[in-house]
Amino acid sequence: MEEINLTTATVISFSQQLEEDSAAFYEQLAERFTEHADTFMAAVKQSHKNKVWITRTYQETISDALEACFCFQGLNLKDYEIEWALPEGASYPEALRTAIALEDKTIAFYQDVAERSESLLATIPGAFKRAAKKRAARKRELEGLL
Amino acid sequence: MAILEEPIKETLQLQNYINGDWVDSEGESKDVVNPTTQKVVARVPISTREDFDAAVEAAKEAFPDWRRTPPLARARCLFRLKTLLEENFEQLSRIQTMEHGKTIDESRGETRRGIENVEVATGIPSLMLGTSLEDIASGIDAYLIRQPLGVFGIIGPFNFPFMVPLWFVPYAIATGNCVVVKPSSEDPLSQIKIAELAEEAGIPPGVYSLVNGGRVVVSSMLQHPDIKGVCFVGSTPVGKDVVYKQCGETGKRVIAQCGAKNFAVVMPDADLPRTIASCMTSFFGNTGQRCLANANLVIVGEGLSDREYDAFYNKVVDMFVQAATNIRIGYGLDESIQMGPLRDGEKKKKVIRYIEKGIAEGAKLRLDGRNPKIIGNWPDTAFIGPTVFEDVTPDMVIAQDEIFGPVAAIIKARTLDQAIDMIHDNPFGNAASLFTNSGRWARKFQYEVECGSIGINVGIAAPMAFFPFSGMKDSFFGTLHGQGQEIVRFFTESKVVIQRWF
Repeated sequence: MEEINLTTATVISFSQQLEEDSAAFYEQLAERFTEHADTFMAAVKQSHKNKVWITRTYQETISDALEACFCFQGLNLKDYEIEWALPEGASYPEALRTAIALEDKTIAFYQDVAERSESLLATIPGAFKRAAKKRAARKRELEGLL
Repeated sequence: MAILEEPIKETLQLQNYINGDWVDSEGESKDVVNPTTQKVVARVPISTREDFDAAVEAAKEAFPDWRRTPPLARARCLFRLKTLLEENFEQLSRIQTMEHGKTIDESRGETRRGIENVEVATGIPSLMLGTSLEDIASGIDAYLIRQPLGVFGIIGPFNFPFMVPLWFVPYAIATGNCVVVKPSSEDPLSQIKIAELAEEAGIPPGVYSLVNGGRVVVSSMLQHPDIKGVCFVGSTPVGKDVVYKQCGETGKRVIAQCGAKNFAVVMPDADLPRTIASCMTSFFGNTGQRCLANANLVIVGEGLSDREYDAFYNKVVDMFVQAATNIRIGYGLDESIQMGPLRDGEKKKKVIRYIEKGIAEGAKLRLDGRNPKIIGNWPDTAFIGPTVFEDVTPDMVIAQDEIFGPVAAIIKARTLDQAIDMIHDNPFGNAASLFTNSGRWARKFQYEVECGSIGINVGIAAPMAFFPFSGMKDSFFGTLHGQGQEIVRFFTESKVVIQRWF
């Protein structure tokens, strides 16, 4: 995607996909590293929650007052596209490092869209900030496992 | 981007919803066409007077019981309706895009605005409270009670097929009245869906009915002796000369919310990037088919030298044209699209006639939308791109008439007073916006401008459900407005009881 003027719908769909892919990735980790399955399944649960939260916030505040078709100028979603596949035969530390790198990108995405949506109703940047905060907490947890 | 899944897969044969039953009409049917794909998505009946009379008869019969139903119980029906609307949020939104052509963000926004009215109406036990005063004379107390009147008719427009009837219907039902809704025959599908959900929510038979159709249904509504009032949203000629006039003749209450030609005024101290973003939605959102859309952009040079004003004017025009040029046009079910088609090809022809008129009048065509670049392989039948005229004077037809399409007219004004005079010289008075960082200018604007809604750094001054949807001059005919407390008063009669006990 190379649009320089993204609609709110596009950004929301990207966030939803991000959380879905993220959940699938951590499910994979939980299956491969069963001794830490609880940690990874908690991440899966959190991703589902993030998706619900963002979708609900969007649907509850979207209206013509949001200038929804003309938001997020200059944002390029290509910058935040993530390759979620876990390298074949990756060790546990390698898998964690991959996950941490992915979290960094995800946090950057949420922080950037939160900043660009500041002019919208407060709940929209609020939802993105909340997602960024949750992902930052996840990253710290993953770093603690290294 | 991928196209979201269409919720309507085959041509639907629509029916009327009368007295809790889905019934066929004796009238002929008409195609409902998706303006993007040009595919027929439904056949809508053009109902007869008999169909309408049957709906009114059912409503009249339902009224005494519904009126006696406690307000809290009536509100519970609306709570159930609200829950069902939320559950069907995405489907309802996609239906609007299919039937009208607007983008999915716009449809979702419309769904939300509609639901908000249901939410506000659920507060009817508080909204409908009367007042009382003891001892107005020796041992005498007085009470004001608000009572429902009976059966009301609602006539919906094509441009907001889902939301506009909800400016009225939830409040009518909540106050204990019964309603007969006539959706636009151009895009009746989202109202059909609401009727299905109203049935599921347990709104009793006859309390809410839906009769599809056109002029016959409207004239039946206006003439029917059992219709106590009519809520209409549509064009000024119909609203003023037909609906308002006939309601006056037959003694009905009336709300006629009509046409507009709204001005956006940009002051030299405005935050330009945010102003332009706001203007894009305002001028081109819903493809300009919105009574709150701005259509005239007035660039004011108050306090600037001639040279400074020229530079400021050129900067605003260039930014406006550039942003309009970048608008992505296509099927609204593609989430990256920023503007869909007009509702149909006839509307496109009308808009093109106005563009030609603007050229003939001597305005400078800075951006020509007549041959737009369309994302996706869709027939261009109803598509038109953003169009921008410069060097427009307030007396030109393109600055005076409601075009109802994505056409912007840019006008110069040396002072804010001149800009306000332009607004007042225009026959309409629906809305106006001012973009500035000056509280003094903002106050002057909101104080002096004769329009129903004022936006300060807001391009679409759309009142939320708890405020009235106002309008002045040729934009509104009636006394009380839709939404909020005013609509509760519209749907109720005030009765004063003066009481003394011997």
